[in-house]
Amino acid sequence: MEIKKLLFVTKFEGLCYDALRSLLVLRKADLEHVVFLNVIERDKVAMKRGAGYLKEEEVKLKETANIRFIDWAENLFEMGMEVGAYIEVSTLIPEILKVIEKESPDLIVIGRSHKSTLEQLYSGSDVNELVRRTRIPILVFKHMAEDKIVPEKLFERLLFATNWSETVVRMVEYIKSMKNVIGEIHVIHVVKDSALKSPDAHAVQKVRKSERKRLDDLCDELEEQGIKARAHLYVGDPQKEIEKAAREYQASMIVLGSSDKAAIIERWGGSISRHMSDNSIFPCLIIPGKKET
Amino acid sequence: MSKKVLVVDDDPDVRSFIVTVLEENLYIPVIAQDGVEGLEKIEKENPDLVILDVLMPRGSGIRLYHHLKTDDRFSQLPIIMFTGISLRSFLKSQKVLDEFKGAKVPEPDIYLEKPVDPEVLAEAVRKKLG
Repeated sequence: MEIKKLLFVTKFEGLCYDALRSLLVLRKADLEHVVFLNVIERDKVAMKRGAGYLKEEEVKLKETANIRFIDWAENLFEMGMEVGAYIEVSTLIPEILKVIEKESPDLIVIGRSHKSTLEQLYSGSDVNELVRRTRIPILVFKHMAEDKIVPEKLFERLLFATNWSETVVRMVEYIKSMKNVIGEIHVIHVVKDSALKSPDAHAVQKVRKSERKRLDDLCDELEEQGIKARAHLYVGDPQKEIEKAAREYQASMIVLGSSDKAAIIERWGGSISRHMSDNSIFPCLIIPGKKET
Repeated sequence: MSKKVLVVDDDPDVRSFIVTVLEENLYIPVIAQDGVEGLEKIEKENPDLVILDVLMPRGSGIRLYHHLKTDDRFSQLPIIMFTGISLRSFLKSQKVLDEFKGAKVPEPDIYLEKPVDPEVLAEAVRKKLG
């Protein structure tokens, strides 16, 4: 796996040039092409009673986006990078899927979902809809502080959360492709309370030992690639513990595999990747598993 | 015989503007929507002139210009750059590509920054094609 082309989806709110700049370290991982996408939601220019289709508004929004993209593109062109841009009046996810079809990016960067909790309950968040509909890794970009400062070293300290699902293989391959970019990686597995219910301390210790061994093996695999790795075993609710570990080790980003659960179960039952991408304060790199056919 | 001009631009409004100017001046316009299609049309249609945008999906005008100028088949093909990207940025990016690819390309003869009046565009085309 390699990261040659990045699709940068922006509404010019959370994701601006500072966010893009923090991703340019990926040039060390072969990044050479950035594609910008700005989707003007239809309801901003749609037919209004008494006003009709707001053509002037559409032109204004498109030209505003174009001015921003030209400015960003000039910076990237001068670095020798390839740049493309799409500005479309459409609906976000279908438009992203269309651009994916045309451009085949290796990574999608998108901001946190702006849908309300109620909207998300019924239609799912943008990010989760995207995770369900593509196999391309998705970086959910977040500003790390109230003052909207962009983390300068996004790949300096990754927290790699594993549940030992099939997706882990793909996650590891993807991480290896970024070996020249990553500072260090903390690999965490959260054992659920229920797995430690045995009254026998020996049995509990066996679980700990076995999980720890798997984590150490994974760290060894990463260190063979030159990536500094440390293993951590936590116990409890995975969502809370992953967030806790990210704080404790001052992670710059959390890396998660997406659930293979069916979409409807995921929507109502919730998945860790969904929860973290929507609610964590940390940027999240979601690596989808193989889609069931 | 009328000369053929390939217009490579992703914006349909801009394409329409350029096509109108070309038709009014009795040239034959051919259109492409991005860099990849632009190169395909150059190979297939053998145009006499290319009017080339820079910031486009699927292959920018920066790379296409450099590619054409370093390909013996097309290095003499006249190109008018027609874009919102500044000439300064364009030249810097060509210089970076020159260093990377080890081939120096000439500056474009005509570089028009959008927006452009129809008379200015028509004059530029006439200058290149007569």
